[in-house]
Amino acid sequence: MNTFEKIKILADGAKYDVSCSSSGVERKNNGKLGSSAAAGICHSWSADGRCISLLKILFTNNCVFDCEYCVNRRSSDISRASFEPRELANLTIEFYKRNYIEGLFLSSAVEVSPDHTADRIRSCLQILREEYGFAGYIHAKIIPGVSPEIIHQIGLMADRLSINLELPTQESLSLLAPQKKPKNIFTPMKQITQTLTERRQLKGPGNMFKNRDLYSEGDLRFLDPEGENVTQGDGSLMEMAGKALAVHKQGNRSRERFAPAGQTTQIIIGASPENDRQIIKTSEDLYRSFKMKRVYFSAYIPVSNSPLLPTPFTAPPLAREHRLYQADWLLRFYGFSADEIFDEKTPFLDLDLDPKMGWALRNIEKFPVEINKAALEELLRIPGVGTVSALRIVRQRRQSAVHFDDLKKIGVVVKRARYFITCCGRYYGGNDIVPEFIKNEALAAEKIKERLLPIDDNTQISMFNSITVQREKS
Amino acid sequence: MTDYLYDGTFEGFLTCVFDHYYVEKASGIYKTDTYQTSLFSSSRVVATQEEKAGKVYKAIEEKISKRDLKRVYRVFLSSDPEKENKLLSYIRLGFKEGHTVSMLHSYPIVFEVQQCEKKVMAEIGRMMGLVRFTALKRIKLGQCDREILYSLIEPDHDILELIADHFSDRMKNDPFIIYDKKRNKAIFAQSGNWYIYPFDNKELPVPGESEAEYRNLWRKYFEVIAIQERINPSCQKRFMPVRYWNNLTEMRLPGKPV
Repeated sequence: MNTFEKIKILADGAKYDVSCSSSGVERKNNGKLGSSAAAGICHSWSADGRCISLLKILFTNNCVFDCEYCVNRRSSDISRASFEPRELANLTIEFYKRNYIEGLFLSSAVEVSPDHTADRIRSCLQILREEYGFAGYIHAKIIPGVSPEIIHQIGLMADRLSINLELPTQESLSLLAPQKKPKNIFTPMKQITQTLTERRQLKGPGNMFKNRDLYSEGDLRFLDPEGENVTQGDGSLMEMAGKALAVHKQGNRSRERFAPAGQTTQIIIGASPENDRQIIKTSEDLYRSFKMKRVYFSAYIPVSNSPLLPTPFTAPPLAREHRLYQADWLLRFYGFSADEIFDEKTPFLDLDLDPKMGWALRNIEKFPVEINKAALEELLRIPGVGTVSALRIVRQRRQSAVHFDDLKKIGVVVKRARYFITCCGRYYGGNDIVPEFIKNEALAAEKIKERLLPIDDNTQISMFNSITVQREKS
Repeated sequence: MTDYLYDGTFEGFLTCVFDHYYVEKASGIYKTDTYQTSLFSSSRVVATQEEKAGKVYKAIEEKISKRDLKRVYRVFLSSDPEKENKLLSYIRLGFKEGHTVSMLHSYPIVFEVQQCEKKVMAEIGRMMGLVRFTALKRIKLGQCDREILYSLIEPDHDILELIADHFSDRMKNDPFIIYDKKRNKAIFAQSGNWYIYPFDNKELPVPGESEAEYRNLWRKYFEVIAIQERINPSCQKRFMPVRYWNNLTEMRLPGKPV
């Protein structure tokens, strides 16, 4: 089988992994080939609008596991292929030289055994790093069940490691992925965090640990990997016997770097019955305990006829995935906790409103906020104010007061923020702050969009009747 | 009031700023070759003088800030037709306000320069990803036999020199050429050093033997990696505008031969 066929099969199997970021590590050229930019660089965008930064590919799709949600499961009727370590290393270098990619994202199915596959991945990375002197980005996926020594060796060569959680509760995991044991997923996660802690190289998610000690014992309640500790109930990982296991050693600050861009994971959305609250709770706990850089969400795309899963004609829950990502950003950059994003009654995010707006409407008594006086943390909680604009407001008001007309230039989304702020003492959102009114106003923008679409294919749009009237008739 | 005309160089522009303060107030600064004379204003060609330019350069660095000097230069490289006048207003405001000028987000003068800089920065970021190299046929260069990487780009703004450091660091062992077709100049880089020189791509060797193979592999990868259920062309175009497609290996414009 030639490389062309292999790319066809193995990229196809890897495309459902969402992570493609090449960020988090800055590396200069080491005299041979390549460098890494801390911000990450996107090299192309595929037809589905997702960025292509890394050569995202499977080492093999010849799998001994039979996970129901996976396109590469043993019982699936697809073509199988495997790379040779040197072949893949060479392909990466040739693509990299032409500036097609920023590096390699190497995932794999489990061929023969987890250790066998991981060892081949290790030798591929070794060829890249040592023979070619490649200094570009490498993201390696760790297969559940790999021995700690191989994980360590891979971690010394890769920039980022990830182990996919895939399903946020134990029930779903044992139902849909019977060969994957919670223990096998959490043990390597813990190992990576512990290695990073010992080396004092932990970076942590976004601004979540801003002004706090990332290594403080209180936050390092590691899960006990001996127990069956995937989440139950409301999805809280903390419920499990959380022993404070991490003891960080000082010293050992060798220049050798272990996974400098940290670790990430991925959860599938819509394959199992968990609600948004459970998913966000789980991600919050992953951030708190493992100090993950990111938790990715992947809308489940039906690839199997299994009766346990949504039928092949179900549309992927893209809107839900989008709202979950917004909630994830609130966790990492805006100082929200999962319990604030959801209240007791609503386990799912509102698909019409962004989660920050939802929170603000439920907590309307906290508003309006005076732009010129509020602390940065309060500014960040205003719908329509992002991290950049909040910082700009703080910077500008040292020089001169921020007026309402300035907000747009600062980058605030005024049409959303106006209901929640006062500027120099004045309120611009109408007569009174009523959540229902604000919600209707916010949704009106969406409705305007709808009205622009053709109403009914059989009716010709008339010049004299207004569109809304026509609509009522039909 | 007089319009100042300059030769299009950064030094020329700075000379105009100098003259604005010490000779006569400028009503506008324009490039000589694209200037349209109007009925009511007079114009004067300002000869570039390194000494004057150097003084303004230093003054911006010391009296405003290093950051703003960089900002002025980036905006100068943009293709905005009014960039010189926007910059003149910004520099004037900067001399008045000092290093805090960049914090005055609500001033229209600062806002416009900020928007302009944002466009340039965005294109730098994009170009770092969207440059596509072709491995040219091996040729004898002195004693050694080298493979040269070659790329053609058509950026909106004159960002060639701002991406040079990135690529020359990354490709330390591979000599490469990045040719800006719109401005007829190119980066030539080897072993971490680079220079920019006027260039036309008439005398280039043909692509190497394996080039077609890797292009095909990349196109196949690009095609396969998209998830059919999520196809979203408008999202794709938002990130990767169609005007760049012409020079991308993986994209096909209608009517372009394969």
